[in-house]
Amino acid sequence: MNPFARFIARRLGFLIATFIIFVLVVFALPRTIPGNPLAALLYQIIQQAQTNPDLVTAVQKRLMEEFGIGRPLHIQFFEFASRLLQGDLGTSISFYPRKVADLVFAFLPWSLGLLIPATIVSWIVGNFLGALAAYRRKTTVDNALLPVFLTLSQTPYYWLAMILLYIFAVMFKIFPLSGAYSTLKIPALTISFILDMLYHYVLPFLSIVSGAIGGWAIGMRSMVIYELGADYVSFADSLGLPDSKVLRYVFRNSMLPQVTGLALNLGLILGGALITELVFSYPGTGFLIFRALSTLDYPLIQGTFILLISTLLLANFIVDLIYAYIDPRIRTGYVGE
Amino acid sequence: MVPPIIKDLFKIKKFDISLALFVGIMLTGVFGSILYNVNPLAAVGPPEQPPSDRFPLGTNSWGRDNLALLLSGIESSIYIGLTAALISIAIGVTIGVISGFKSGLTDSSLMLVTDVVLVLPSILIMMLIAAYLKERNPFFVSIIIGLTSWPWVARAVRSQMMSLKTREFMYMSRMAGLRDMRIIVEDLLPNMMSYVFMAFVLLMSGAMIAEAGLSMIGLGVTKGTSLGIILYWAQILEAVRRGLWWWFIPPGVCLVALATSLLLLSTALDEYFSPRLKGG
Amino acid sequence: MNTLALGLKEVERVTLLKAEGVKAYYSIRQGYVKAVDGLDLVIDKGITLGVAGESGCGKSTLMNALMMNVKLPLHLIEGTIALDGEVISKMDRSMLKKKIWGVQASMVPQSALNALMPTKRIMDFVRDVIKHHLNVTDSEIVSMAKKRFEELNLRVEALDLYPHELSGGMKQRAVIAVSTLLNPKLLIVDEPTSALDVSTQKQVLKMLMELKTTGITESIIFVTHDIAVLRQIADYIVIMYAGKIVESGSTEDILHDPKHPYTYCLINAVVTPEPEVRKRGLTSIPGEPPDLINPPGGCRFHPRCVKAMDECGSVEPVLAKFRGNRLVACHLFK
Repeated sequence: MNPFARFIARRLGFLIATFIIFVLVVFALPRTIPGNPLAALLYQIIQQAQTNPDLVTAVQKRLMEEFGIGRPLHIQFFEFASRLLQGDLGTSISFYPRKVADLVFAFLPWSLGLLIPATIVSWIVGNFLGALAAYRRKTTVDNALLPVFLTLSQTPYYWLAMILLYIFAVMFKIFPLSGAYSTLKIPALTISFILDMLYHYVLPFLSIVSGAIGGWAIGMRSMVIYELGADYVSFADSLGLPDSKVLRYVFRNSMLPQVTGLALNLGLILGGALITELVFSYPGTGFLIFRALSTLDYPLIQGTFILLISTLLLANFIVDLIYAYIDPRIRTGYVGE
Repeated sequence: MVPPIIKDLFKIKKFDISLALFVGIMLTGVFGSILYNVNPLAAVGPPEQPPSDRFPLGTNSWGRDNLALLLSGIESSIYIGLTAALISIAIGVTIGVISGFKSGLTDSSLMLVTDVVLVLPSILIMMLIAAYLKERNPFFVSIIIGLTSWPWVARAVRSQMMSLKTREFMYMSRMAGLRDMRIIVEDLLPNMMSYVFMAFVLLMSGAMIAEAGLSMIGLGVTKGTSLGIILYWAQILEAVRRGLWWWFIPPGVCLVALATSLLLLSTALDEYFSPRLKGG
Repeated sequence: MNTLALGLKEVERVTLLKAEGVKAYYSIRQGYVKAVDGLDLVIDKGITLGVAGESGCGKSTLMNALMMNVKLPLHLIEGTIALDGEVISKMDRSMLKKKIWGVQASMVPQSALNALMPTKRIMDFVRDVIKHHLNVTDSEIVSMAKKRFEELNLRVEALDLYPHELSGGMKQRAVIAVSTLLNPKLLIVDEPTSALDVSTQKQVLKMLMELKTTGITESIIFVTHDIAVLRQIADYIVIMYAGKIVESGSTEDILHDPKHPYTYCLINAVVTPEPEVRKRGLTSIPGEPPDLINPPGGCRFHPRCVKAMDECGSVEPVLAKFRGNRLVACHLFK
């Protein structure tokens, strides 16, 4: 097997193993944490069932079914896993009788619509600005940009969102306050709807992008400064290669760790974006999770988290693929630390 | 006698500024809540008042003094940040040291665990655990944060261990027949102290922000307040829409200032302890 | 101003590189590190010159200065450097890149292991270098590279590999080959053998000699602390101490009959199976390397010199002709 395929297989195996571990954790947590509310709830339902069977609601029946206490834990897990593999993530309590899977797939696209472009844009722009600051190190450009990047990298997206909302939606009523589209409109593929959607898209998008840019810029700046002192740079210089060409070498090599960094930071960006959705009442998975957690809608919690993690792991895998392709050292089997 | 390292560090401008900023805010929180003797959780005035002489930052929807809340929130956030960072550093250094020192199966399995925790987004794990706990005191929250933030430290410490392992002074100790533990504590750990301290500072900054994130979804501490919780209530009660800027801007500014000053501190430490890059 | 006249018979002397009064300092917070402090050097065509001395004596700085590769915090404070008649010390960086570097003079860095661009195949890097200087087609570039590699006994297949796929010795030789692709007249090599095992060292030295015999390069200057290397390929040797030249002459003379006390110590301090050393026994050089920010007054070596006389502490000895083409800077040999 060539080194490339070996690398991919290893990563895939790891991600699948991680997924399985996560599913185990999601399954075990509500059922094993001492004093957990689920047990109390189920106990309550059982009591109810014994004293007044007719008062047990359909919702409660469903819950009992899916969280079947009384059956041994590993049987429960087996049932859970087999249902999972069939795509059945259970029925939501707070949105009864809608199925969890349907709910997630209804809300997920809005989150992805924000996340994917925002991540890509912030990565590209952030790296560009970082490289610029590094190249113009210790000049006014760098000295001005660096503190901005540092501060931005520590600013939560959701707080930036509040600031942006306050300035651009309250003080100067330029952009809308909430939602992904006006409440009066019905989602349809019309120009007017798309424009309305974009209009609502701007502030959430900007919040995530500005929050994420700082981190990329700082990382790229350090990388480029480091690479600029590398041996291959001075050798290429000494052979007369023009500065522009040598810089291109530097950027090319500095990008590689930034791609790895992307894989590592996907989780952070996801988390930040989800919370930011709340500030905008954006109809994405963030809203769904918030609702699920505050109402302790166990099936919904389980299902949303599992699907979210799957998406994340898939994204991780894609980034790994890209990295393996662009780093010739992976392709030719170089195993370094 | 002040050790020379401390003296040298204080000569660096960046170090002084960032340390001053962080300590400044911290002391404001600590002494502020003593001097400004208002119970943050008691209703002391009419609800939703804008800033005035009596209430410098106004009151929230329950008539609580926002300034008192802010000061208490600073203390709380710093406490959680500190505790969570301590937990993370303990886990991370332990795993990193063991993994780096003993290669082979121990190393591979520890690194597998590390990678799994690394890949899973900490916020989601934290949310999951926090949701299932009925009571969340600051220590519990710190544990939750601490349990999910250590992987990068473990990896970094491991590489340091692996490179230190091959240095000359190690051979001396090995030849003298010293037991592993003694080698680790006497030879290797002192060399890593500078990095560990830097990692601790970064962990603290990350933990404060993580706590704020948890609180924003309503999964922060169940009793008391923190910077994140102030923001949570501001969000729930639509402070932005209603233009009540004194409610959500000060806590955010404090949080960002605390985290940024810690970040600056860590870069100052990094520059001091790492070899100079060419070109200065 | 004493010129170091090395080369062939007086009549056939053709100068390639002439450096006069070169002072190259590093600016740091505490002041200037006077790495090269007033030095003259003339290298003729067809000569291999070895520059030897302790670490920190300024050899590498000198090499950079001769190429006019002066990146901050290094400054060329004073001095003129002329390569084949052309004054290069007045050229700016882009001019140097265009006309001199890679074309007239090339430098092989000390750590050649990472000198090649790690994420490009060697052939692609070569392509970039050649394309920048010459106006030739791609296929011409490929054949140029292949031919040159063959000429120097390097595996042509290496061109299609990434640097990390080559062994240490291969990399070193590939770097030397790449740096001489455009037949620079002068090749400067910084420690050609320090990180290599003995058999690879032999290959590298053989390659350097071939560069001259095949006419690819006219003159070579190399820096080393390895007496064995000097013995094998140097025609002439220059001994540096604390930023100054203290002695120079033919390899034969210097190694068999060192005059300056420092040279004498240096030759003897090396653990090599040199017959002369075995005869004279090992001597280590007492004292510590000099402070280049505030070098000792008078002769810079006097604090460590066993033969130091009174005037050595106050009057700096001039690099003067001793015998034939030998130059020594020492009060013992005036």
